[in-house]
Amino acid sequence: MASLARLQADFLAAVVDAANADRAPAIRAGSLGAAQRLAVYRRNLHANWRAALEDTHPVVARLVGGAFFGEAARLYALAHPSPSGDLNRFGEHFGAFLAEYPHAQDVPYLADVARLEWAWHACFHAATAMPLDFAALGAVPAERHGEIRFSLHPAARLVESVHPILAIWEANQPERDGTPDRFEGPDRVLVHRPDLDVEMQILDAPAFAFLRAVRDGQTFEAAAASAGFEDAQALGATLQRFVASRVIVAFAAP
Amino acid sequence: MRQAHAPDATHAGIGLRAPHYAEIARRKPRLAFLEVHSENFFGDGGPPLAWLERFRADYPLSLHGVGLSLGTADALDETHLAKLAALAQRFEPALVSEHLCWGAIGGRFANDLLPLPYTEPALARVIEQIGHAQDRLGRRILVENVSSYLEFEDSTIPEWEFLAETARASGCGILLDVNNIHVNAMNHGFDALRYLDAIPARAVEEIHLAGYEESGGLLIDTHGARVFPEVWRLYEAAIARFGARPTLVEWDTDIPELDVLLREASTATAILERADAPQHERIGA
Repeated sequence: MASLARLQADFLAAVVDAANADRAPAIRAGSLGAAQRLAVYRRNLHANWRAALEDTHPVVARLVGGAFFGEAARLYALAHPSPSGDLNRFGEHFGAFLAEYPHAQDVPYLADVARLEWAWHACFHAATAMPLDFAALGAVPAERHGEIRFSLHPAARLVESVHPILAIWEANQPERDGTPDRFEGPDRVLVHRPDLDVEMQILDAPAFAFLRAVRDGQTFEAAAASAGFEDAQALGATLQRFVASRVIVAFAAP
Repeated sequence: MRQAHAPDATHAGIGLRAPHYAEIARRKPRLAFLEVHSENFFGDGGPPLAWLERFRADYPLSLHGVGLSLGTADALDETHLAKLAALAQRFEPALVSEHLCWGAIGGRFANDLLPLPYTEPALARVIEQIGHAQDRLGRRILVENVSSYLEFEDSTIPEWEFLAETARASGCGILLDVNNIHVNAMNHGFDALRYLDAIPARAVEEIHLAGYEESGGLLIDTHGARVFPEVWRLYEAAIARFGARPTLVEWDTDIPELDVLLREASTATAILERADAPQHERIGA
């Protein structure tokens, strides 16, 4: 077992990064050299990883082009080794990687677009949920309402950027020519899959802050305070809207 | 666990890929079964699982995993195994399969089907892991031979003996990929018919067919082309030896129109029907 573990660790290290090629276990060369045979695996691994990233981040791929994307994908795979046998989980940190990637600094919105695409992907695969139980909510005494902790639909994500990321995302869908309708941010985006289709919408600052506080587990009272609504009516309308659209689907009573 | 009826062994099936979902749901082509990559349905909800619910009403399903890494020296990933078990519980597939390979070590995943050294310790390891997976899933699994582009110096057992012994000792079935046998026969210089002869017929429960590419003196198993004539011939030899078996045509890169895939499946079906026909009908066929 020790020898199998050693062989596998050496093989994987040599295949993932050509800089570790000297760690490769002994290979029967035959008509082709060992280096050429290892290179086939290296190409396959990186092609799989790149394809997975391109599947989850088609807009980033279109924005930067194939050569840039390929090199970014290769370096991402080295910096963030795949954590799972399920390739659908591979790209989770691509946005964070791009934020630090030196060659992406000329494209300041790129990392946030990647985060938006990952939120879309996460919502696509997230659980379904029943609408909020109004009868149970109605049974909570009015004086305890402030202590209720609501929760978001499992397929709801919030992404905020100083850049117009939703306009950029929309402009880079296959049928569009890439020119955004807006050039100014900030964009506060709610990504949500109420049923089978993932939807994205821009929220105003109070509504976004409110949902973020709810997501983070704050009480209704604290969430309302952090949102800074103009009046109680605006707060009530916002809550009603998100319950009706199944963004808020559950609550824990005090 | 209740399991769906075994696929009709006189018809071929196809690998179900997202670009074809809507068309298959609409046309409902005659296919023995549909096979999916298990990991693509590991999410908690959403369209992939909704589609699969739809397809199971019309076809037997086969869950084909690419990420369990049965041959790793690490412990199996219990989270991965739990997701697979839940998926199998929910969809009651006719077949559940994985690969005779490894894809992770030290918590790092390759997301690829990497070759094992064909040694006694590796054999013992993979038999143990298959036993664990079968216990956890509460059912027998099939294990598929993979394409490879190198052989380790350490290897002491021919690949075909390693595969046959894995099935015998673990009780798993064999998913025999005829294309992979051809690819490896060319890449490593052995006789593909000798490989077939070493495989116990009773263990073979499914056959895979796909296309490869030639690159730099090696055949690469890309699943991105039509089945090659040499592979059709080897498939006919396999069916002659093993009898008709549920057969699947796979296509994963540069996915073509559905009709291209259905024509490949029809070619396999014609071979299966000949094998299945009574002896007097076969004369002169």
